[in-house]
Amino acid sequence: MNARCNILAAGWVKRLLWLLLLAILPPFAVVEGVQQPMVKVTVMPDTLLVGDRIHCTIAVQHEKGVAVSLEGIDAVALKPFELLSSRHSSSVAASASVEDLFELELALFVSGKQALPPFSVVFREASGGVRGRVSYKPSSSVVVRELTDASMRDIRPIKPPLSPSIPYLLLMPLLLGAFGVGVLVLLLIYFLKRTVRSSAERVDSSQVAQRKLRKLGSSLSAGMPPHECYEELSNIMRSFLETHYRISALEAVTQEIERDLKKLGVAGFESIMNLLKQADLVKFADSRPDVEESRQSLNKATEVIRSTRKSPPPSVE
Amino acid sequence: MQHDVELEELGSRIIEASRFLELAEEQLAHRVVGQLEVIRRVFIAMLVNGHILLEGVPGLAKTLIISTVASVMNLKFQRIQFTPDMLPADLVGTMIYNPKDMEFYPRKGPVFANVILADEINRSPAKVQSALLEAMQERQVTIGSETFPLQEPFMVLATQNPVEHEGTYLLPEAQVDRFMMKVIVDYPSYEEELEIMLRSAMTASKSPISVVVQPGDIVRARALIDRIYVDPRVQRYIVDLVVATRNPGLYGMVELASMIEYGASPRASIFLLLAAKAHAFLQHRPYITPEDVKAIACDTLRHRIRPGYEAEADNIKPDDIIRQILQNVQVP
Repeated sequence: MNARCNILAAGWVKRLLWLLLLAILPPFAVVEGVQQPMVKVTVMPDTLLVGDRIHCTIAVQHEKGVAVSLEGIDAVALKPFELLSSRHSSSVAASASVEDLFELELALFVSGKQALPPFSVVFREASGGVRGRVSYKPSSSVVVRELTDASMRDIRPIKPPLSPSIPYLLLMPLLLGAFGVGVLVLLLIYFLKRTVRSSAERVDSSQVAQRKLRKLGSSLSAGMPPHECYEELSNIMRSFLETHYRISALEAVTQEIERDLKKLGVAGFESIMNLLKQADLVKFADSRPDVEESRQSLNKATEVIRSTRKSPPPSVE
Repeated sequence: MQHDVELEELGSRIIEASRFLELAEEQLAHRVVGQLEVIRRVFIAMLVNGHILLEGVPGLAKTLIISTVASVMNLKFQRIQFTPDMLPADLVGTMIYNPKDMEFYPRKGPVFANVILADEINRSPAKVQSALLEAMQERQVTIGSETFPLQEPFMVLATQNPVEHEGTYLLPEAQVDRFMMKVIVDYPSYEEELEIMLRSAMTASKSPISVVVQPGDIVRARALIDRIYVDPRVQRYIVDLVVATRNPGLYGMVELASMIEYGASPRASIFLLLAAKAHAFLQHRPYITPEDVKAIACDTLRHRIRPGYEAEADNIKPDDIIRQILQNVQVP
């Protein structure tokens, strides 16, 4: 009987010791074949607005030679939290232990108090076999506030206008001066170019035409056929008219040139037109002038060009 | 200066032979106010056996001009209204069965006339257009197994509707190319409009037009036109203009290359020369000058140039392209 009572007493003591042990242990549901790990969950911030990001860090401290991974940290299991990104790093915490750090970036689109979902820490050996699994239910929770007008203002505070470091008024005269100088230089270049070009053209057009006519006269004396002389004479006259009066004489027919010169009120208009019409007859109507006629036409052309040199070309505008 | 005796003689004959056109113009002026350019283009086409495509809004005296020209020149005039249900037989004629002698006889269609006004040519289907254009080209018509030559002079003046209009068939480029000129009929000037109004607002019937020209005059004029002198420089100028519509870059108009989808065909060179000859004839000249070519270039080339997408986007018309070519190709 006594022996039986001793056995019963020993059973009670054992049960009591087990109960005490369970009370001391942290809230791990299952611990299998692993040295007790230390899991720490931190959530930043604990109060936020809908749509804000939450930075959640799960630190697992465990013995060396064991690989750690998390289970239940995925898009489905984390609902209503949205997993945006995750990062895993490992570092030696003490001589015999290692700390694995799981950094999760989450977002919440539901308002109210939201508790973090439970997850499991899985320990694996180097061979890949599961050494143990620890289920963990975090006690942390976050409070999510809805967006209101007031909260919108909190998100985007209107900044006051920045005052310039250098007062503009001090810079204005400098800027205006630089601009003015630039404009003056550009205008000067433009007018210089225009004056040089127009004076060169005026001098050149008549000089070039006269030089060409002299050369043509020599060619005629050397035996150039008179009809070819007339063709060349027409070209010289047209080039001269084009550069001197700024009309497109090379691409215009005689009637068009006549119209343009009439409009400009050119001196010696009739002589110019007679020359061109005579050249047209030779060119298009198979007329055959003699050498003397050609020479007379050349002289007339030289005279016309010389007379236009004396009188400046009328303004095209 | 010595002048070609033959050309001088031709010149005096041209002055004499072209007098009928002045008479015709005088008579036309009794009925038609203004539109002198259109009338001259009609004369040019008639003098060189060409056909004209007329474009213009309704009410601009297109039909009046043509019918009056035909009346003044003692020519048979036919106006054919093209419709979508038209058949080639309605145009050229058909074989009619005679039950008395149990045989088929050809019945000639309205195409058998001197001057044809094909009104709204693009309203009829392609087969009818082809029948007319074939008659224009061949100057003969086959009904059944018999071929009939068309009367001389034979000229077709077709009017066209914009293709966007409902129930129209686009005239193929190959067929449009057969028209010597495409003439744009424009609105009359203010003074012309005033005169038109005063002349037309009468209830009394208009005085009849006198016949001042005979078809023989036209045929004789054609013989003189064929003899008009064309200098090689002018010949090259014509070819230069036509080639410039195909390769504007060759003439220093690189920016125009992207504006043209395709240029004028060799038919353009032929018609340009013919029309220039007729223009010189109207000016009483026995030779062509570049002025003659320039004067009719737009009318002869505008329907042979297809502007590209870029040109259409920039609202650049064939006339703008031609004008640019004329301004850039050097005149001989």
